[in-house]
Amino acid sequence: MDIDYTQEERQFQQQVRGFLDENLPRGNEMWSKRDAWFKSLQAQGGWDVPKWPAEFGGPGWTPVQHYIWDRETAGRSLPPVLPFGQVMLAPILMRYGSKEQQERFLPDIRANKVNWCQGYSEPGAGSDLASLKTRAVLSEDGSKYVVNGTKIWTTMGHMAQWMFCLTRTSSEGPKQEGITFLLINMKTPGITVKPIFTLGGSHHVNQVFFDNVEVPVENRVGEEGKGWTYAKGLLQHERSGIAGISRTLTALSKLKKNARSVRVGDRTLLDDSSYKRKLAETEIELRALEFAELRSLADAQQTGEPGTASSILKLKGTELQQRVQELTIEAAGPYALNAGFKEAGPKFSKMGMMMYLNGRAATVYGGCSEVQKDVIAKRVLGIKD
Amino acid sequence: MDFKFTEEQQMLRDSIQKFVREHYPADRVGARRKAFRKAPGFAEENWQQFADLGWLGVPFPEELGGIGGDLADVMVVMEELGKGLVVEPYFPTVVLFGSALMLGGNADQQQSLVPQLIEGKLRGTLAYMEEQARYELADVATTATARDGKYLLNGTKSLVLNADSADYLVVSARTGGDRTAREGITLFLVPADAEGVKRVDYPTIDVLRASEVSFENVAVGEDAILGSVGEGLALLEAISQRAILALGAESVGMMEMLYRDTTDYTSQRVQFEKPLAAFQSVKHRIVDMFVQTELTRSLLYRATMEVQGEHEDAPLDVHGLKHMVGKAGRFVGQSAVQLHGGMGQTEELRVGHYFIRLAAIDAQFGDTDYHLGRYTELMPIPEGEPDADLLPF
Ligand SMILES: Cc1cc2nc3c(=O)[nH]c(=O)nc-3n(C[C@H](O)[C@H](O)[C@H](O)COP(=O)(O)OP(=O)(O)OC[C@H]3O[C@@H](n4cnc5c(N)ncnc54)[C@H](O)[C@@H]3O)c2cc1C
Repeated sequence: MDIDYTQEERQFQQQVRGFLDENLPRGNEMWSKRDAWFKSLQAQGGWDVPKWPAEFGGPGWTPVQHYIWDRETAGRSLPPVLPFGQVMLAPILMRYGSKEQQERFLPDIRANKVNWCQGYSEPGAGSDLASLKTRAVLSEDGSKYVVNGTKIWTTMGHMAQWMFCLTRTSSEGPKQEGITFLLINMKTPGITVKPIFTLGGSHHVNQVFFDNVEVPVENRVGEEGKGWTYAKGLLQHERSGIAGISRTLTALSKLKKNARSVRVGDRTLLDDSSYKRKLAETEIELRALEFAELRSLADAQQTGEPGTASSILKLKGTELQQRVQELTIEAAGPYALNAGFKEAGPKFSKMGMMMYLNGRAATVYGGCSEVQKDVIAKRVLGIKD
Repeated sequence: MDFKFTEEQQMLRDSIQKFVREHYPADRVGARRKAFRKAPGFAEENWQQFADLGWLGVPFPEELGGIGGDLADVMVVMEELGKGLVVEPYFPTVVLFGSALMLGGNADQQQSLVPQLIEGKLRGTLAYMEEQARYELADVATTATARDGKYLLNGTKSLVLNADSADYLVVSARTGGDRTAREGITLFLVPADAEGVKRVDYPTIDVLRASEVSFENVAVGEDAILGSVGEGLALLEAISQRAILALGAESVGMMEMLYRDTTDYTSQRVQFEKPLAAFQSVKHRIVDMFVQTELTRSLLYRATMEVQGEHEDAPLDVHGLKHMVGKAGRFVGQSAVQLHGGMGQTEELRVGHYFIRLAAIDAQFGDTDYHLGRYTELMPIPEGEPDADLLPF
């Protein structure tokens, strides 16, 4: 056992740091210099698509290199990438898409040109996703599908040009069969997008309605009826990102600084031992989980499988995110009332409550915590229903 | 980075598991432990087997007859001994006494004692705790007064593990300073049969052995000093770190057994026409036990490697570990007892014994609250201005 980075890993860490210092746009330049930033990433040999395999232009990093990249970037604000395409759809296309589909969609995903959204959940199909009902019927000449139904909770649906979508093409047999994976252009006639406002008034999610929407058959990924298998692989990619351990560690570190700036009498909130103990308890669990992630990476590096420790990452990672958010609004004190104003209260309170409110979703999406536990019970502990 | 166990570690693990299967079979754990309530509280022939199999030599250098292992090797041993509910005094002799010798002893002391320890011919323990001290290592009322090139020890040590089968006691005593001062503590190597040493022996709730040991004008020479005069606290803290790692490994082993046993029991036991494990509230509680165990295991690995590599975060993570061992150990132990129903309340099944041992471990070398407090003192607070740029999740 050895906790230290190897010589090469240390060198890589230095390389990442140097690269970020030199190329990462700051503050106001975040948007204006975004393209230059992506170019510089690309020039490093695929750093713009870190998770992509080398054959598709990714950097081919080892799991430990991914970890180093996450840790080094977590403390800094990076120009945002469009996650649905790059992180979630791309791996599916690489594995199950046709050559034409790969050539048609991957370059734009990589260039952050096309915004994708994920059309899985429906009003009647949430945790039990396989019970989805949005129908896709193949036309008689076999040239297109006609889609009818509705998707809900579609993040970024109002900004997306494309959707990857699970549709029902057959009601025979088990419900996991008869699901087909389609790529749908959001401009197609018959699509309506309605906003849904979440806690605190944000508009991220939508309901999308399909009324005789025609989708060319070449937009089907893989075989008809196999969509469930394809999507399941993809959900794993989604979950590994949601744990966000590096980000939570950074958030906790910021929280400590912010808590020190909050006055309590003639001292600070950090001198309040009950508050400080809550911070400490959270940090101890985070440091444990950080190592669980490393163990899982090491297993992945050696065996190609992430190992048992990985099963707790999403479950515990989202819980700890939420804990840091709670402690952030506790630190804001009366300014937990801050709905985004800057007229009063500590500066961090401007975003604190919003973060707390939006943060509740993390234990619901990507497989709610209860379902995660069912999965661990079955797969890891072998408990039968 | 490398988290694999080596082939040697795997062999060590296998050989302890084999011993446990033979000498501590799961269905006889209760009776077996009861039989050990009387002194010396373990089987001499088992101890000799520990020596013959090389387990007593794990953390000691080859020059002294050991196998030159590191803290990860000790972790493997302690985890397996924990799973087996083994009562032989590996922890007091190899971890406490052994660490005192290796971290504080001079060459003479090491050469005269360690080879014998490894051969199974000599045992030791650490007499550091006093009744008023609770978990403070620095709270030492026992005195060591210098007189004519000798030291005279006076005072009483409490809850000294396996003192009734020890040949040597490592005793903390004041050569200077007030009762709670951080300076002025010195560690002494005292033969257990020295004149003026008195013991009252008793079994503890986890069926191990402990003693109240009093010292009345016990005279030892300067060659009995471990480490430097007056600087014993740092040595005690270093021993305590290793103690916590070892108890952490033992705990993680037991916690794993607890969620496994609970999974098996509730999968077999049928009530309301189905296995109990099929009820989601039961199932999810077992998953929570598993999650707590894996988290604790992760922190155990982290702290072990950090202490081994003398990382700067080591003290922080050792405090975090003992905090977590206490908290998670209690949760896992209580859950196992609860989910075994009436059977969980008996001495017949091993879950109850794990539960008790975990409670006992929480009360040694600082409990969950104590270490949270210590962690809080060391917790790094980054420099710099408040940061309003909170990350979106
Ligand atoms: C902010 C946000 C963004 C989202 N973005 C997208 C998106 O872009 N695309 C998309 O397709 N979907 C998206 N979703 C949908 C998300 O995947 C679903 O909300 C999730 O799968 C849960 O489904 P549901 O909301 O219908 O809850 P339900 O399935 O109705 O469950 C409600 C609650 O019941 C409990 N529960 C559920 N199942 C079980 C069980 N088996 N055992 C015990 N308890 C259980 C849980 O507490 C759960 O939270 C998003 C959701 C949110 C909140």
